[in-house]
Amino acid sequence: MPSLVLQYGHDILKEYDLGESLTIGRLPDNTVIIDNPAVSAHHARVSWDGKNFFVEDLDSTNGTFVNDKRVIRHQLLDGDAVIVGKHKLVYDQTAGGEPALHTSAAPNLANLNDTVYLDTRKHKELLAKVTPPAARGTVGVLHVLSGRADHPEYRLDRHTTVIGKSDRANLRLQGWFKPAVAVVITRGEDGYVATRLSGRSRINKQSLTGRQPLKDGDVLSVSGLSLEFSIRPVAEESLSAAFPARDHSEMNRRVSLV
Amino acid sequence: MRLRVGAATNIGRVRDLNEDAFISRVSDGLFVVCDGMGGAPAGEVASQMAVEAILAQLNGGDRESTAPPAANRVGYLVQTNRLVEAVRRSNHFIYTQAQQDPERAEMGTTVVSAWIKHHVASVAHVGDSRAYLWHNAQLEPLTRDHSLVEAQVRAGLVDRDASVHSRHRNILVRVLGREPDVEVDANEVPLQQGDYLLLCSDGLTGMVPEPVFGKAIVELRHPQRICDYLIDTANANGGNDNITVVVVEVMSSWWRRLSDRWTRQPNGEHDA
Repeated sequence: MPSLVLQYGHDILKEYDLGESLTIGRLPDNTVIIDNPAVSAHHARVSWDGKNFFVEDLDSTNGTFVNDKRVIRHQLLDGDAVIVGKHKLVYDQTAGGEPALHTSAAPNLANLNDTVYLDTRKHKELLAKVTPPAARGTVGVLHVLSGRADHPEYRLDRHTTVIGKSDRANLRLQGWFKPAVAVVITRGEDGYVATRLSGRSRINKQSLTGRQPLKDGDVLSVSGLSLEFSIRPVAEESLSAAFPARDHSEMNRRVSLV
Repeated sequence: MRLRVGAATNIGRVRDLNEDAFISRVSDGLFVVCDGMGGAPAGEVASQMAVEAILAQLNGGDRESTAPPAANRVGYLVQTNRLVEAVRRSNHFIYTQAQQDPERAEMGTTVVSAWIKHHVASVAHVGDSRAYLWHNAQLEPLTRDHSLVEAQVRAGLVDRDASVHSRHRNILVRVLGREPDVEVDANEVPLQQGDYLLLCSDGLTGMVPEPVFGKAIVELRHPQRICDYLIDTANANGGNDNITVVVVEVMSSWWRRLSDRWTRQPNGEHDA
């Protein structure tokens, strides 16, 4: 009986005997199920017209190829390779016995647990864009209430802001006996977090020992410097510079494709 | 900042070879875990190439990168930008090698790297190898997988708890070595005494639930013993893949450790 041999790269995954007809697609109601986003739900069909087998594309997104040519309907000849996404189905007309294919490549059954890289370029691009950084329309600001600092105000637009005497500090502490790095403020998806590293620091008069999220209106005291934390909306033009606008309608459409 | 480190890699119970690779350099504060793919000998080669290339990049003099940081890198520390750049270049290196050798054309590798300098850990990663921070009795993920499942979770299509069982778990949307350039994700986290940093390949996260990581840290404390325990647990649960774990402990001062010992509850639990 003629058959189709499902291959991925050099690996032979499975062999399907061709009876009357069979369907290829991503969903479980297909005969040949290829669970890969590059494959459409119902991608292609192979059918018998009484004399020959034909492969038909079922209006798939990425198309069905035979020997590297895109086809709508194509009569299968022995050895034809039907390509669906990254998988290949080789038509084997010779009935019975070990198909020639099995001997050419070592019968290396693919381990289905192997990590697979989704390298269908188009889909990869779509997926990469499913996860844009959340558009952040606000920025934290430290306003100096008292004590010595270089500036009256500091915008926390960096991922990590270092407060200390060190040259690397973004907010430089001045004076003797100040710690090189006193407090580090990190900006995460959920807001800002202050972490004490050395010296004495307080948030709203409470001693800061570990890490603590910063809330609008908190007063942070670091080695004698008193700072008020506030969340402010970012002006429209500077927002677009910092976080380039993304087409969200486009994104939603893409998400539904997954 | 004193660091105490443990590291271990294990082939697991199913695979024929270990395609993971890691480096653990306490003196440099540099820790990297890579999980190669592409079958023998390619996967093995790719992960080894990546760890070596990253180390070489960062040891290549103290000069700053001359290239301006990509737009999305603005706002990160210099050390973070250097680490990201090293990972990007290792990608290009592996890609170039793969193009020259048809046997290795399909090779690729994940990478998760941490570079600890000046009390801040810079983390750069590509793929599904992960970094976690253990701080104040809580485990915090520092990376988000570049996998199909993670994309689905973030898009709200799949529940995170359900994602553990997804069939798409092993499909990656970003790896090193398969494209001429790669986008590297960065994170920064300040480290305090008593914190632990854990880097691992998916051979651990696929086999051992996250709460076990915290339990191992609390009960064992010693980085090497934590690594060994987690690898044993992954193997006991099936060991379906190669397992690599690197654990970095930010050492407390001696008096703090002593007080921890005094205040620790008999069942091993205690407040950090």
